[in-house]
Amino acid sequence: MNSSSSSSMGGEGRHDDDSGLTEFLSSLMDYTPTIPDELVEHYLGKSGFHCPDLRLTRLVSVATQKFMLEVANDALQHCKARQAAPVKDKSKQPKDKRLVLTMEDLSKSLQEYGVNLKHQEYFADSPSTGMDPASREE
Amino acid sequence: MSDGRKKSGRGQQISSKKSRLSGGDDFGHAIAKIAVAQLCESAGFHYSRRSAIDALVEVAVRSICDLGKSANFYANLAGRTDCNVFDVIQGIQDLDSWRGFSGASGVHRCLVNTGVVREITQFVSTEEEIPFVQPIPRFPVSRMPKPAPSFAQAGGEPPGEHIPDWLPRLPDPHTYVHTPVWNKRDTDAKANMVELAKRRRKAERSFLSLQQRFACNSTAGFRPTKDGQVGNGNQVVNDNPFLASPLPYGEKEVCEIASPLKAYAGKSLSVLETFVPVIKAAKVGSLDFNTNERKLLHGIRPTVHFKVGTVKKSVAASLPSDTLIADKDSWFLKYNEKDDKKKRAEFIFRTVIDKPHELAQL
Repeated sequence: MNSSSSSSMGGEGRHDDDSGLTEFLSSLMDYTPTIPDELVEHYLGKSGFHCPDLRLTRLVSVATQKFMLEVANDALQHCKARQAAPVKDKSKQPKDKRLVLTMEDLSKSLQEYGVNLKHQEYFADSPSTGMDPASREE
Repeated sequence: MSDGRKKSGRGQQISSKKSRLSGGDDFGHAIAKIAVAQLCESAGFHYSRRSAIDALVEVAVRSICDLGKSANFYANLAGRTDCNVFDVIQGIQDLDSWRGFSGASGVHRCLVNTGVVREITQFVSTEEEIPFVQPIPRFPVSRMPKPAPSFAQAGGEPPGEHIPDWLPRLPDPHTYVHTPVWNKRDTDAKANMVELAKRRRKAERSFLSLQQRFACNSTAGFRPTKDGQVGNGNQVVNDNPFLASPLPYGEKEVCEIASPLKAYAGKSLSVLETFVPVIKAAKVGSLDFNTNERKLLHGIRPTVHFKVGTVKKSVAASLPSDTLIADKDSWFLKYNEKDDKKKRAEFIFRTVIDKPHELAQL
């Protein structure tokens, strides 16, 4: 029953779906994504995606842009949280207003999306760098 | 958005080396970097670390590639090679499947009503456009190698009926037929070597005499004299008198130090007379020096004026103008081909004139 009703409704639904689809795709064409079309087409061609329709390319680029913006927004939240949290002493009364995208914030926000980004904190010249001179002589 | 270089130089160096390893896709990476930086700026960041931008670029490129792969996978699953909008939507659902989309689990519903489409529609309608800053060309630019023309294109009939005319043309016979190589000139190698040695000796001898002359005659100006090169005319193969064989040592008495002014003043027209046969013969087309020159040159050593510099006082100042012009003509006629040694000698002459004080260096 359920299937029959849905299939009977499917006939009308399909019209709605078609119109919804065309509307959706036409709304896509109005929007110019930040990621240029040529770049997206290049990478899609590399991975085997073949479609001459520009609207699908726009769909891919819009989806990627949305994802990127979400990641960037999350990193921004982390950055603002870090700036607000520590209690600075008198020397630095006005908060530093500069928002810098750092690897720490980025790795935290990307972790929620399933991307593991590890970053080295510092690099040393030799194994004995940073040790006090007494132990270094040994 | 500016690039905050808060890292130590070493760290940045290593991170840039890391990005160098990505291979030949630098152009795509650079474009993606600009796009990602624009996105971060629109999100609200003022600055960014370079390594963070690189990481984001990697993530973006990887997400595009993965989306394309999964969409292609769905299309192949449905038995198609070209991708559909539904393939793309399903691909997007795959990427973000951990979060879940409403309507993704429905089997009988159209994908248009799913959360993916709704979210994207909402995104498109609310977010303002940030177009990419620069127009970029289609890349990668593929250079198609020009194929060989077919028989029909080249206009010729293929040899033999069994060869259709849309096949590429047969190569030219000169590419595969071995033909013997003949030397065009009829001279033998030995005569050439002898000639070459003579020319070399001649240049060296004139250079040596020039040095000697300049050493003992530095105040009177530079006036090189013609060696007795036309004395032995029977071995002259070509018409250039300067390339004739030099006289053996001692055959002709040669005064080493010529007082040029005195010699010249007495015979103001002798130079012209000397070169009249040269000019005449040059106009005719063949320089025949054997008989005429010998008479004139026997005892007289007329001066030969090399045009070794543009303005040289020692040469130009003391000559009347008409002889100078005549000399120039003859000089041009004789000096139309030089070998390397002559060029070197001429260069040495030039430096001698220019910097007589540096003669010791030569």
